[in-house]
Amino acid sequence: MMRPAVVAALAALLALPALAAGEGAPPRRIVSLNLCADQLVMSLVPPGRIASITWLSRSEGDPDLLPLARRLPVNHGSAEEVLAARPDLVIAGRYTTSTTRALLRRAGVRLLEIDPVQDWDGIRAVTREVAAVLGEAERGEALIADMDDRLASLALARPEAPIRVIGWAGGPTDVPGRDTLFNTLLETAGGVNVGVLDAGRGGFDVERVVLRRPQALLRGVSYGATPSLRNEAARHRLLRRLYPQGQLTYPEALFGCGVPQAAVAAQALQRSLRDIAGSAARR
Amino acid sequence: MRTRPVVPVLAAALAVLFVASLFTGRVWLPPREILGGTGDAAGTELARLILVELRLPRALLGLLAGASLGLCGAVLQGLTRNPLAEPGLLGISSGAALGAVIAIYSGLALEVPLATPLLGLAGAFLTALLTLALGRGGGMLVLILAGSSVSGLMLAGTALALNLAPNPYAAYEISQWLLGSIADKSWDQLALAGPFMVIGCALLMGTGRALDALALGELQARSLGIDLPRLRLRIIAGTALAVGAATSITGAIGFIGLVAPHLVRHLVDYEPRRVLVPATLCGAAVLLAADIGTRLLPLDQELKLGVLTGLVGAPFFIALVLRLKRTAP
Repeated sequence: MMRPAVVAALAALLALPALAAGEGAPPRRIVSLNLCADQLVMSLVPPGRIASITWLSRSEGDPDLLPLARRLPVNHGSAEEVLAARPDLVIAGRYTTSTTRALLRRAGVRLLEIDPVQDWDGIRAVTREVAAVLGEAERGEALIADMDDRLASLALARPEAPIRVIGWAGGPTDVPGRDTLFNTLLETAGGVNVGVLDAGRGGFDVERVVLRRPQALLRGVSYGATPSLRNEAARHRLLRRLYPQGQLTYPEALFGCGVPQAAVAAQALQRSLRDIAGSAARR
Repeated sequence: MRTRPVVPVLAAALAVLFVASLFTGRVWLPPREILGGTGDAAGTELARLILVELRLPRALLGLLAGASLGLCGAVLQGLTRNPLAEPGLLGISSGAALGAVIAIYSGLALEVPLATPLLGLAGAFLTALLTLALGRGGGMLVLILAGSSVSGLMLAGTALALNLAPNPYAAYEISQWLLGSIADKSWDQLALAGPFMVIGCALLMGTGRALDALALGELQARSLGIDLPRLRLRIIAGTALAVGAATSITGAIGFIGLVAPHLVRHLVDYEPRRVLVPATLCGAAVLLAADIGTRLLPLDQELKLGVLTGLVGAPFFIALVLRLKRTAP
């Protein structure tokens, strides 16, 4: 435990700009402690106003934002790094980096906590919330308008019959179910998630996956696809045989982050699903 | 001296367990569906694929891995004349696991699939060499201490490899993998590791006569014409091949090497040579039974094979220690 006196001294030492600038002025030294917030911040404000983003964004997230993310300073979610950057706003996820958040609150740093979302309305809400705090309401509306345009064209191009898909990264619990952003994106793109289990029946193995008879497997990719065992089961020769073309991959960060760019990911998924519907029709 | 039909009985039990293993799973495949009696051609095809591509390699892998562990346990107990010797307790399994972990998380296994069993094998070979060298001539306790210290070193190495792995899932995955499982394995993995296990077992099977001689003491064995350094090397190589290859695919499955020889030893009048075949069959049977158990227990999360063998094996180990305390001076 850090003594209150020490915290006060720390805060005084840093002479937090937030106090000087006041709550009204748009923040100019933004620190993000959350991969999803990174994407929003990079989309909403010019790079000059970003003090640091998470190191995760250098390999994850929206591919279009990767070049920018690699130029920005990064943090690893520790309180020391954040305080040293003298931020006037810290954005964090509601459920992560809890020690750091507690310390920042005691040090009087302005903190915005964002919630995970699971549908398009949630994306609209969190984008507006963050844009308002950053003083970029207009830019936020533009992002949402672009997302809504994409959603409209997604609705027009949806395959007549939903494509049966299972999202499975290879592990027994790596199966996104109902009430997830993954499910929302999949349904918007024109798929139906057959990887939803009844309550109390956890765990997927290859047997259960194939007996659901999906038309395609959707495998999450993350961390630059560095070697891991979770890809091992997905390479099983039974799956290679049943799904020679039907193993799609998706960027896990974009399917789990409440950012307007999720609509771009949904469009990419829709193109893949239509290919599978097309090859099924030809067969 | 009565002779019991130990080997035929064990072989029959093993055959029953093998067939039972094919018909056990997280999903029930009705035999009628496999034979095509339901009229659903796609369903029959799928059921057959599950049987041939998932359950058959799984059962064969279980058979080979269990046989390897059982036989290695019997041979190591004979060589060290120590009833507690076992690939797991001597650190050999941990060494194999370290080799496999390095192959998997360095990305080497993606380029060269054979790297996993080969590095597992190398790890097993080096740890077996190290433990037996450290524990030589020091009696029962020193050997077990040597095993546990070498095992600790290998676990530290595994932790280091995970610490450095670029993928943040690595730590979670490997903690799962180290629990040991033969779920979702394919013919590919069987083809990679199977030949090594078979060669290793063949090497170990041929040591029976020497182990019988060794049971009389090292001097007596030497006077009977046993080349002890060569015997040791042969056993280390055989164990490394069998356990190294098995562990690199299945993860660490503990206690089978300890339990299997003890279950059958009294049936063959404690002759080291005559323990080998029954211990092999018994090891395979115990592993298959445990694997069936993991799939039958009505739990949300499938129980890992190594957890089940540990839960059954550790109390057995404790009982063994208690008995040794009573009989030892």
